[in-house]
Amino acid sequence: MHSSLVRIQNVFGYFTSVAFAVAAAVAVSVLLSSQTPSASLELKNVQVVKGRPHYYSTKREEYAHVKFDLDADLTSLFNWNTKQIFMYITASYPSTSPSIPPPEAVIWDAIIPSDHAPFHPNTYIHPTSKTPSKSKSKNKSKGKPYPEGASPGIVKLSNQKPKYQITDFSGKIAERENATLSLHWNVQPWVGALVWTNTNSYGRWSGLKGGVDKFDFPSLKGSETIKKEDLKTETGAEKNRGSPA
Amino acid sequence: MFSSLASLQPRQLAAQVLNFALVLSTAFMLWKGLSVFTNSSSPIVVVLSGSMEPAFERGDLLFLWNRGMDTQVGEIVVYNVRGKDIPIVHRVVRRFGGGSAPLQLLTKGDNNAADDTELYARGQDYLERSKDVVGSVVGYVPFVGYVTILLSEYPWLKTAMLGFMALTVVLQRE
Repeated sequence: MHSSLVRIQNVFGYFTSVAFAVAAAVAVSVLLSSQTPSASLELKNVQVVKGRPHYYSTKREEYAHVKFDLDADLTSLFNWNTKQIFMYITASYPSTSPSIPPPEAVIWDAIIPSDHAPFHPNTYIHPTSKTPSKSKSKNKSKGKPYPEGASPGIVKLSNQKPKYQITDFSGKIAERENATLSLHWNVQPWVGALVWTNTNSYGRWSGLKGGVDKFDFPSLKGSETIKKEDLKTETGAEKNRGSPA
Repeated sequence: MFSSLASLQPRQLAAQVLNFALVLSTAFMLWKGLSVFTNSSSPIVVVLSGSMEPAFERGDLLFLWNRGMDTQVGEIVVYNVRGKDIPIVHRVVRRFGGGSAPLQLLTKGDNNAADDTELYARGQDYLERSKDVVGSVVGYVPFVGYVTILLSEYPWLKTAMLGFMALTVVLQRE
């Protein structure tokens, strides 16, 4: 009854019960934190050009190139149980058939870790006003995922190029109307349930105010009139592990 | 040690075996019940690769829910590549279809530079929500699943652990 094996078992059992209870309490207590996210997203420029998925492809598809302004304040989403926020902007437009919902694609994303999270190279680096976003100076490695003097969750971008290209499965995207750019987030907790964007309010959690912009895709432009830099995509200077395979 | 085994009467021994079988079958039924509740063939998975870092690290435990058939962009899904049995946990970056057409998804790991087109089976450009996806991640517990990774990478650990567990169950009823 009092052998060391039994004692070790009891201590270990107690440890797991307490750890489980604390984790459950932390996960549920998130509901008590108040959230007031707000954002303003504005499309600045959109062009539709013919292009190829990659150099050796024979398919010629229509690609839409956009530039947008984003001014987001998601600082209230960072509570004691937030490990990181995955922010992303999607573009969606009505589908060709009324019985099929609108297709949607992510055009830009950023991983914003909480200040308490251990450092990981795969983090968004916010462009500062001093370095132009195209330069790859050494300052990038010390960059923070938020502007100078701000806190995690504040993102101020202007004339930002997306990270991924916009194209439709059918290859045609010119002159599509009622397209929408919208901001979303995914809060990754330290333990518990993952949450996504809420536009409605639930108790202390206010819905997102703003963060949507509607536009129409223009008609196809000849490639002679477009500047090459406008067609490029731009990553967030994060260091990921490369190709998946 | 063997004297304690020999002193057990056949009925006690049978009761022990039955208890052991009861524990095993309860665990099995709990697992299968959770499978039915979530409508997923594997409702709890362990993260095996670092392709979703820093959100998920190797060894994290994920809870899946497979009843939301209208998967949105930004959700994290677990899918099997057609023809292979390895589950992959990545985020949905594009979707089209749905409604009257089958919903098709394109996924990408947060820690990968490119989307998963290279990982899919030959000739497959998109995942089909109804066929390829095992479930969508709704909950997360860090690190506790690392034991299963150790067990699968060092098979002798599995036999050692089973042997140890059987020994303790038999020897405990003094």
